[in-house]
Amino acid sequence: MVLRVDHLGYSYSPGQFAIRELEFEVGRGEVFGLLGRNGAGKTTTVRVLTTLLAPTEGTAYLFGKELGKCGRAERARLGVVLQAESLDFVSVERNLTLYAFLWGVPREVAKSRAEEMLALFELEAVRQRKPWGLSGGERRRFQVARELMHEMELLFLDEPTVGLDALTRKRILDYLARRARQGLSIVFTTHILQEADQLCHRIGVLQNGRLRAHGPPAEIKRKYRGARTVEAEFERELVGGESAELLELLTREGEGFSPVAVDPNAFVFQAQNAEDLVASISRWAHGRGLTLERISVREATLEEAFVHLVSEEAVSEPPARTELA
Amino acid sequence: MKLPPVVRLVVRNFEANLDPITLLVMFGQPAFLIVILGTMFNQLIPSVGASGSYISFLVPGMIASQMITGAVLAGRVFWLDRRWAMVEQIFSGPFLRAEYLAALLITALLFSLVGVGIMVLIALPLVGIPGLSAAELAVILGTIALGSLFFGGLLIAIGGRIRSANLYFTIQSLLQYFLIFISTVYYPVSSKTPVVLRAIVYANPLTYAANTVRDAFTHNFGPSDLVAGAVLGGLAAVAFVLAVASFRRLELGPVQ
Repeated sequence: MVLRVDHLGYSYSPGQFAIRELEFEVGRGEVFGLLGRNGAGKTTTVRVLTTLLAPTEGTAYLFGKELGKCGRAERARLGVVLQAESLDFVSVERNLTLYAFLWGVPREVAKSRAEEMLALFELEAVRQRKPWGLSGGERRRFQVARELMHEMELLFLDEPTVGLDALTRKRILDYLARRARQGLSIVFTTHILQEADQLCHRIGVLQNGRLRAHGPPAEIKRKYRGARTVEAEFERELVGGESAELLELLTREGEGFSPVAVDPNAFVFQAQNAEDLVASISRWAHGRGLTLERISVREATLEEAFVHLVSEEAVSEPPARTELA
Repeated sequence: MKLPPVVRLVVRNFEANLDPITLLVMFGQPAFLIVILGTMFNQLIPSVGASGSYISFLVPGMIASQMITGAVLAGRVFWLDRRWAMVEQIFSGPFLRAEYLAALLITALLFSLVGVGIMVLIALPLVGIPGLSAAELAVILGTIALGSLFFGGLLIAIGGRIRSANLYFTIQSLLQYFLIFISTVYYPVSSKTPVVLRAIVYANPLTYAANTVRDAFTHNFGPSDLVAGAVLGGLAAVAFVLAVASFRRLELGPVQ
């Protein structure tokens, strides 16, 4: 296990917890995504796990070593792209090679890797510019490129794709996925749930400093998807009382049933027990001699599951920032 | 073979945060003062104690003041590292905080020595080669080293506790001018100097450094310089402890 987080908590002042009771693990070559709203505790988690802040409760183990005892040797195996932009007052290219020098990367390796990174992150045209003169997206690309100048086993990325266009985001995510397949473990925070769904093997949802759910994206979606949309289309138009009969059936059997559109030959609705209702509709149509042209259940997106989870928790749970008596 | 972490940090400090214009101004200003101030006042002031000419008096003072220049530049590196989040980036990497602090202090010392070299080069055509013994040279370099540690440590200690660039650079400028002008860098202190001013001048560590360097230049090194060296050493130790304490409580995160 590359990272094991054990009841980890951090409070900026007594009783004011930014994160609390965090528990998760990250294996070799695994991408773990930390999702959460602004202020949920994602950045604090990254800062604690990268030894910038000392935990105030619980602990974590980096490469099997307790966080409080981690030093140079463990940090030498980390890569960290923090949310705050950091830069040196030299050109983009020199920033890359100077950072590599700082990490003890041999000069020739640094030179060729800098070329690779400049190409991969589309920074070749601005290589001689100073980083503060770059656009927001270029600066973010530069931050990620610079961190990848040295070898690492665990990479922390705190919102690395903020301000990037879709194409660049895809390039970076594809590259990170490739590196993960080669064995690099990644802890990744993001607001863009689609990219977490695409990249992460497992995700954790932070809400008010607590980990409300964690698991593979598919499991999170299944568990917290809420209502899903069902579309049923019949061969012919429904006649007589058929439409009302079907509506009554769905209202009776559907959990959280809510009609979206009712056409003469089609029904679109949302319900939590979508699969059960698909079976009910099939039975009902068969009994009436009706042929179902098409029936489909649209899979919930991670975003829908996230919104459902976060809104549900916001109503039912006390925030972690309040000291528990 | 990898260089030791402190060496890598020092090399990076020299390159990362300092543009050529800043360096030109920082080292050019005292050089300019030696040439202009030295030449102009040389005509007005017939002689100054054992130094003889005013310019011969001024040069050792300007050499001593380079410890302030070195400290200011190291403080600037530290502050810009905080401002541009490089402190966090470095601390999350394979470095100890102690190594980063040591690298800053070495940076202060090396910049001071660069400044000394520049002042000597500028002064040579004006005052000639002073003909220093090895012991006198060692006294000068030792004084510069202790002074760099003191002023560097002090500015780093201050820089670690302040979260505003404006405030930091204001304090640094004030301190720089206060220390240089209320010392014996530009002028001697005599019984005619007002008592309050004299007390402040003698409370200023730069005075001890300037007097020691001057005594070495004029081959008048004596017991009072040993006391001055001890005082400077003690102050350097205090400043180092303050810098370490400031680093231990250093709050990482955004600064203005």
